[in-house]
Amino acid sequence: MSHYAIEVQDLKKEFAIKKKNVSFWKRRKENKSFVAVNDISFNVNKGEIFGFLGPNGAGKTTTIKMISTLLRPTCGKILINGLDVQKNSMEILKNLGTVLAGERSIYWKLTGRENLKYFAAMNGITGKKAKEKIDYLLKRFSLDKRADETVEKYSTGMKQRIALAKALVADPPIVILDEPTSGLDPQSARNLREIILEFKEEGRTILLTTHYMEEADQLSDRIAIIDHGEIIALDTPKNLKRSLNKSNTITFELNRWNDVIEKELQQIKSIENINSYFDENNRKWEVKVQINNGNETINNLITTITNSNIKINNFKFEEPTLEDVFINLTGKSLRE
Amino acid sequence: MDTTYESIRVSSKANASPSILIAIVYIFKKELTQFLRYPSWFVSMLIWPVLFPFGYVFTAKALSGPASSGINTFSALTGTTDYVSYMIIGTTMWMWVNWMLWGFGSSLRREQVLGTLESNWLCPIPKTTLLFGYSFFQLLYSFVFMGISLIEFMLFYNFRFTGNPLLALLIIVASIPSIYGIGFIFASIIMWVKEANSMVFLVRGVITVFCGITYPLAILPNWMKGVSSFIPVTYSIRSLRAVISAGARIGDVRTDIMILLLFGVILMTLGILAFNYTQKKVKETGSLGHY
Repeated sequence: MSHYAIEVQDLKKEFAIKKKNVSFWKRRKENKSFVAVNDISFNVNKGEIFGFLGPNGAGKTTTIKMISTLLRPTCGKILINGLDVQKNSMEILKNLGTVLAGERSIYWKLTGRENLKYFAAMNGITGKKAKEKIDYLLKRFSLDKRADETVEKYSTGMKQRIALAKALVADPPIVILDEPTSGLDPQSARNLREIILEFKEEGRTILLTTHYMEEADQLSDRIAIIDHGEIIALDTPKNLKRSLNKSNTITFELNRWNDVIEKELQQIKSIENINSYFDENNRKWEVKVQINNGNETINNLITTITNSNIKINNFKFEEPTLEDVFINLTGKSLRE
Repeated sequence: MDTTYESIRVSSKANASPSILIAIVYIFKKELTQFLRYPSWFVSMLIWPVLFPFGYVFTAKALSGPASSGINTFSALTGTTDYVSYMIIGTTMWMWVNWMLWGFGSSLRREQVLGTLESNWLCPIPKTTLLFGYSFFQLLYSFVFMGISLIEFMLFYNFRFTGNPLLALLIIVASIPSIYGIGFIFASIIMWVKEANSMVFLVRGVITVFCGITYPLAILPNWMKGVSSFIPVTYSIRSLRAVISAGARIGDVRTDIMILLLFGVILMTLGILAFNYTQKKVKETGSLGHY
């Protein structure tokens, strides 16, 4: 028996792209393909929270759709609890609780209780066992008082919780969550993250995708950073950040920014990376500079910036974050 | 969060496979519950059977000429002077097919748009179970609809059975596999092309023109009659008219019933094959959850 809950070997997914503006007769020649996931391999240990961190379109959802049997890989192998996903899809589905599309994955015209009853039956749980399970889940997710109202009247956080309860109704050992806190207010997101940690305490394996680095950092035992369909780093959050141990990040808030000053700063040897971002709401530039030799460079940096008639509104010295790891690996921010 | 729940450990034992029959019952219950939460559907179910045939009945009345002289021509072609019953049998069959296309045929697409199709696909059941669940709900709906229609026809159109009502019911039952076979194919294509309206208009248009909803097939050109013979609804309408209006017995409509059953076997098989093919394709393209 494998000690991995999920094993992914050389997984690839290539989609055909049909050009819409090409005439029907030429289309066959003009069709191209797009590689969404390119030859990735990783294992998820039983009982761990494994995070998939990457920007939108990086290939996170494509990967979990292949793991949860919704999408056929172009090539590669996926094993769930030692079983091949392509050959044992029914058995695999009994082991998985998957939440894709969050609040949209449930019926809004049914009540919370009716949703759970329906999905319990579709997983082979009916009668007294289903009733006990549903009552327990409704109470656990603090939905018991509004269980008999239609889902359309629920808040986004409640809809997300009922979708999670639905995934747990068959008591699966593996839970797959696609962007579970996306679109939630901070309080609801915090509550949901607590629930995810409880899943782990119960012995479940969790595979979650997110583009929130704080979330990946807080929840995951190990993280795979994915970009352009490839895993570019895989380790514990601590080790990923430690990989930047010689460098620190200074974040400047500036009134303006341009390529000339960026090129000038890049001449300073101890600077490893510069990433600039314009904050539309506050009308200011946020520039993150990764340096590898502390104070000496700070003086140099400040002098160069101020000599260019740029006003420094604020600056802070930061320990590396997963965002910095991502920037260091890809040269761009997760927000880009 | 509520932290009063008992701590649980995850069982390593997988659940038993869900029963297909129970899954069908629960899909049926889910569809019915959602339907009842839209009361306007029930109102349209009451009004539509009365309203829809009126247009055709009045057209027939206008064309029947002074002192209904045109009825003789109609009678020579159809074997009955009761053009009202003739029209309402045709329009009721049309409405059945119409509901089937909109309700059952679009069921997978509706789930796709709502976002719930993937949730159903993630359940450990054969996916054809979903189609059978939707079709059982649509069957109940169709029978209620026909029951309401029958009562309203008796009240508003003075409709009466000349032949055996049980034989008419038998023809309707024999029509179910072929009509739902069309529905299976239709549901699969719609999940594929992601556009229900144009497909409904196309299929409905073909049935309106080729199956003799409001006119006898005898007036169609020969090539159109040839097309009609490949559509099962033609046989349903023809035999229902023979039984209800002309009092035909089982021996008179036996061939039509056999043809309907044969169509049923062929179309159901094609429907399941189309669904399995679509299932395979959407797994390759990843379009299961696309709008």
